[in-house]
Amino acid sequence: MDSPAGTAQSIIELDGVRKCFGRQVVLDDVTIAFPQNATTAIIGPSGAGKSVLLKHLVGLLYADEGRVSVFGTDMASASTRQLYGIRRRFGMLFQDGALFDSLTVGENVAFPLEHHMPQLSEEERWVKVAEKLGWVGLPGFEKRSISSLSGGQRKRVGLARAIIMEPEVVLFDEPNSGLDPLTSDSIDQLILDMKDRLGITFIIISHDIIGTIKVADYIGMLYEGRLVEYAPTKNFIQSHIPVVRSFLRRNIFGPRDSLNQRKQQAPEQS
Amino acid sequence: MADFVRASWNRPPPTGQVMAEAYRIGVKSLPVLLIIAVFVGTNLSLQGYNAFKPLGGQYMVGLFVSMAGVREMAPVIAAAMIAAKAGTEMATQIAVMRIREQIDALEVMAVDPLWFLVTPRLLGIALVLPALTIISIFATLLSAYLVAVWQLGLNGAQFLSFAREGLAPMDLLYCVIKGLCFGIVIAVVGCFFGFKAGRGPEGVGRATNGAVVTMSVVVVFLNYFLSELFYG
Repeated sequence: MDSPAGTAQSIIELDGVRKCFGRQVVLDDVTIAFPQNATTAIIGPSGAGKSVLLKHLVGLLYADEGRVSVFGTDMASASTRQLYGIRRRFGMLFQDGALFDSLTVGENVAFPLEHHMPQLSEEERWVKVAEKLGWVGLPGFEKRSISSLSGGQRKRVGLARAIIMEPEVVLFDEPNSGLDPLTSDSIDQLILDMKDRLGITFIIISHDIIGTIKVADYIGMLYEGRLVEYAPTKNFIQSHIPVVRSFLRRNIFGPRDSLNQRKQQAPEQS
Repeated sequence: MADFVRASWNRPPPTGQVMAEAYRIGVKSLPVLLIIAVFVGTNLSLQGYNAFKPLGGQYMVGLFVSMAGVREMAPVIAAAMIAAKAGTEMATQIAVMRIREQIDALEVMAVDPLWFLVTPRLLGIALVLPALTIISIFATLLSAYLVAVWQLGLNGAQFLSFAREGLAPMDLLYCVIKGLCFGIVIAVVGCFFGFKAGRGPEGVGRATNGAVVTMSVVVVFLNYFLSELFYG
């Protein structure tokens, strides 16, 4: 099992995971262990299989081959009750927030509480909502409509909703996508604040290398469905793997060219 | 379907949402349903009169209206209107939720989307469509009566007498059963197409289109089989 953390305990493990959509192989023999209470980022170009990998962790997708183990449970054989039990230990920030337009900001954030903690009084619920909105920098936004929010604010509300149940793991699906550089920086700072405040496991899917280096303890890179590198951040940025080097240089044509180059060189060397 | 039954079996339905759906489908669809039902009644009267007059049987228009209008047309028209308005709305809403990852968000928040999205819609429509069917029956009969008496100069008492000939109390029960069955079909088909929507606006459009076509076809097929069962 690939674990850059050495002896660090992992609560989520993928072992030889392969996933295909039709003839297209999206994940190919991916083996990775996510260390507990650390921030791990999976980066890679668009279409590398990052979001598909993330969906395997919460049972939104299932592997065709290999094993996904979450909190010691094999996701493929988990019953519906077990699956929902596992999901209650997760929070997830979706790309566009996935907020419900018909509800206010406060009602969106309170949504998981209403369903899983009905014993809370309305007042207690709203205290928690106000606290979490304060954490994400949106105090007093409870009554605002979702349509009045900017892209960055939507992500903040999505994060407040993701952490309201005090999860053990928070998943971030492209937290910087569609944001201007300043807003993107503020989201990175927010992730760092949450990391300090909550001290739980964060798993981030991103193609924003600068932000990722800032927030992640460990970085893995997916390329054409394969995990080509996985290491602590300081080791990752010194990686000698050509596709990683190209991606770090933000050379948009680099990874493909580098891989092709490597493929061409291989027969020559042999 | 099995997943839906399992999801809904162990939990009470979200009552507030069921009532909201019932209100939305029932009250908001009522005006357009009344307009259609009224004009179906007027035209049934006119066509019945024109068909029976050469045979000297124009006084039997009430029988024609009650048999064709009440037994067959009113339930189908109510279902068609609800399919066109509420059914497509269901498919579109759920399809948009699908492409905006809101259904995935429900899953990750450990809220069963079938229970949360399908149950209120199914129960809401099952509550109101039988009632809407009965309302459309009376709107059809009333408008047909008014045209027969005021425009065509027929005897009102005779119209009602023949209408009663073709309309037994059991017919109303059958119409309620038809309305209930059509409501279930509309909710299940609408939600199914919404959940299975493909990506992007095109996926939403296809889901809506597929839903309304399938609902309409299934409703007329089902109407035939139910009529065969009740009257055959």
